[in-house]
Amino acid sequence: MNFRTIVQTINLCFFLFLLWLAAFPLVEWIPVDFFQRLDPLVFLGTFISTREWVWALVPGLAILGLTLILGRFFCAYICPMGITIDLSDRVFRPGKRNVQGLTSEQNSRFRKIKYFILIFILGTAMLGVSSVFLASPLSLITRLYGLVLYPALVLVGDTVLDLFLPLNLMLGLESMAYAELQSYRFATQWFIAFFFIAVFALVYYSPRFWCRYLCPSGALMALTGKYPLIRRKVSTDCTDCGICQKQCPMQAIDDDPVKTFHQECVVCENCVRVCPEKAVSFGLAHAGSTAKTVEFIPARRELIASALSGAGAAILVHTGIDRVKSDFVPGNIIPETLIRPPGALLEEDFQARCIGCGLCMKSCPTNTLQPTWFEAGLGGMFSPKVFPRRGPCDPLCNVCGRVCPTEALRSLTLAEKMWAKIGTSHVVKHKCLAWEWQRECLVCFEVCPYAAIELKRVPDISAPVPFIDSHKCSGCGACEYHCPVQGSSAIVVSPTEALRMNRGSYIEKGRAIGLELDADPDRERKPPDHLFDPDDPGDLPPGFSF
Amino acid sequence: MKKSKDISSNIYSKSCSISRRDFLKKQGQAAIFAAAAAKAGIIFPRETFSSQVPYIAVAKGGPVEATRAAVEILGGMEAFVKSGQKVVIKPNMSFAHPPERATNTHPDVIRTLSEMCIDAGASSVMVLDNPLQGAELCIERSGIEEACRNVPRTSVRTMSSRRFFDKVSLDQGQSFKETDVMRDVLEADVLIASPVAKSHSATGVSLSMKGMMGLIRDRGIMHRRFNLSSAIVDLCTFLKADLAVIDATRVLASHGPFGPGEIIKADRVIASADMVAADAMTIDMFPWYGRDIMPRNVAHVLEAHERGLGRMDLENLIVKTVAA
Repeated sequence: MNFRTIVQTINLCFFLFLLWLAAFPLVEWIPVDFFQRLDPLVFLGTFISTREWVWALVPGLAILGLTLILGRFFCAYICPMGITIDLSDRVFRPGKRNVQGLTSEQNSRFRKIKYFILIFILGTAMLGVSSVFLASPLSLITRLYGLVLYPALVLVGDTVLDLFLPLNLMLGLESMAYAELQSYRFATQWFIAFFFIAVFALVYYSPRFWCRYLCPSGALMALTGKYPLIRRKVSTDCTDCGICQKQCPMQAIDDDPVKTFHQECVVCENCVRVCPEKAVSFGLAHAGSTAKTVEFIPARRELIASALSGAGAAILVHTGIDRVKSDFVPGNIIPETLIRPPGALLEEDFQARCIGCGLCMKSCPTNTLQPTWFEAGLGGMFSPKVFPRRGPCDPLCNVCGRVCPTEALRSLTLAEKMWAKIGTSHVVKHKCLAWEWQRECLVCFEVCPYAAIELKRVPDISAPVPFIDSHKCSGCGACEYHCPVQGSSAIVVSPTEALRMNRGSYIEKGRAIGLELDADPDRERKPPDHLFDPDDPGDLPPGFSF
Repeated sequence: MKKSKDISSNIYSKSCSISRRDFLKKQGQAAIFAAAAAKAGIIFPRETFSSQVPYIAVAKGGPVEATRAAVEILGGMEAFVKSGQKVVIKPNMSFAHPPERATNTHPDVIRTLSEMCIDAGASSVMVLDNPLQGAELCIERSGIEEACRNVPRTSVRTMSSRRFFDKVSLDQGQSFKETDVMRDVLEADVLIASPVAKSHSATGVSLSMKGMMGLIRDRGIMHRRFNLSSAIVDLCTFLKADLAVIDATRVLASHGPFGPGEIIKADRVIASADMVAADAMTIDMFPWYGRDIMPRNVAHVLEAHERGLGRMDLENLIVKTVAA
């Protein structure tokens, strides 16, 4: 195990550890979105698409700055996507370790692709559309581990608990025996899985295919890391044996092994280790030691074409019927089920920031946060939405906003979060057990944490029926989740009257417009009224009967 | 409570191979008699005053003293729990609320009951519920886990995974005939219902009978497919608590089960070996929504009485009230 493998192992474990910590209740002592904020593309893409300086993403800029000195060290040492691909390459690489996959001609042609992707993404960002989610390595890998592998792990864990229940009980391991794991299920996981199977399968053509040819963050760092201060040097001891060239996982060494394509070099130092003459080293560049590098940056017209296709894609997103230009003005189509998490910015700004990494979804204790598929248009793919039928948004949890690396979801205090109304419930009378079937059900009333549901008696219905006080409804969806009607719920949340604000206090705003969204024991609040007529001896309180 | 699947809920069965406490037998016989009487249209029999043990105990005082006093009136916990028996206590801890909200059983009531069971020789006490809100938050905010932490051989748990439940048939159920019940409840020797006294928008009150819904896996079906009140009675023919101890130290007299509603600081604990009687007594004692409500105004209590599951004819029952 060499130095790099050790660092890689530590970083991958650290990444997974932080991902594991991204959960309710959230720990305070470490920012669990640390890795996501290291991605230079997340920094630059978000900066351009929002035209706002996001301090939280400055670590990405720092990484970019460090490439001026160290080159693309991030790819080999830190990037969890790169480390994962290294791992899968070891497992899936067919036959003997033939590191060089493609001919040098193919190699130089394919390398351009990542610049096209980068410029495409930046092209969309110029027009205010973020497509960082398409190819940012940290976004992709968080999605893989958080939305595909983590739920799988939980399922396996639960099966183990299932199988070992008798044994655990027999051995008196009560806390094991009675442990229950929250099961996670996500939309889009097939797509994510197939995408990664494809990425991993590309090892058939070359190792680290993604990093070499496709990764837009890699491309960005290649641009800044073209002449790093500390770079590969070959002494005159070199015998031109070419071993280093064959062993380079990035194919960053020219046919003449003295020459290095520094923008492709990830400083893994394989070449140093394999050189029989100990002729290779990494150190400060000084005049005269630089071999002439072959130019990989695509021609100007190709770059312009990429930028224009990005801009074109952004225009198509802007002119799509599903584009929400304003959350308030008529003529904007917001699907009934597109309920954004509490603290989501105005839709257009939200989409400009969200990188679809899925960290909020992984963290959500009730699994209500789900990746959006095409509902919000192509620009909103993988952005989070609340799916109340799967779980309610817990009023006592504010984790999603606190883990969001790009602040597409605002980080709110618990008090503020309770007031960050995400929608409003309404009763679907023809499905409701009370309204339609005159049953004493009222589970919705029972579970509403905001006491927003009132029971009233109406003519011709023997059971009291639910009404919603929209001023007290936060849209949390506890009613929709618990409704015992099968299929779609008889009480559903829609995005109506969601409070979407880019700044300012939800409490102040909510109070100003007459909301009452104190979720928990507020003894000041008047309980819902109109349950029965206290002066009418023929009218009993709800639930009682003659 | 030991009821394996084959013998099901047939607690009246003479062939019942598992020994139950004498007390329960007596009660079972009483129930049969009551049922027969009800069918024949005869008035319910007045309980003989020669009986040593009052039918219903009401104790006034704080949660700890009142709980102890109420159970003592019924002959002490030794009358219900024998040495080496497994006990399950069913509290209300379905809401992530603190005790002041009166939506969950007071933690001190549960702790006192657990201690009494352990002192009576119980091999284990499990405090079980299948909560509506997040399990961990419920356990934590209700204060019940914290209160029971130092009681030996006692655990507070919530369960929702399939592996903790077994399918049982409710032989005496009329419409609701089959459900999944927590295995630990099926394996327990003694079941103690210990709800908080609170109103309920759908069933009038939520007391010991309604609380049994927290021991099964799928409650929704009781709302959806059946008449909820009848389904509760069907469930209680099987999950018939050996002892009901109702925490009326605070009574959520309106806007239950979630509240916030009117909270009466009543400082009472009501106990009976007949969960129907305990529920009926609690209904009778307090104004619900400021109204005088009779036990017969609560559909599931009325139906349980009519079906002979227990008694709500308080006028015929011996009630002993003490100040603890």
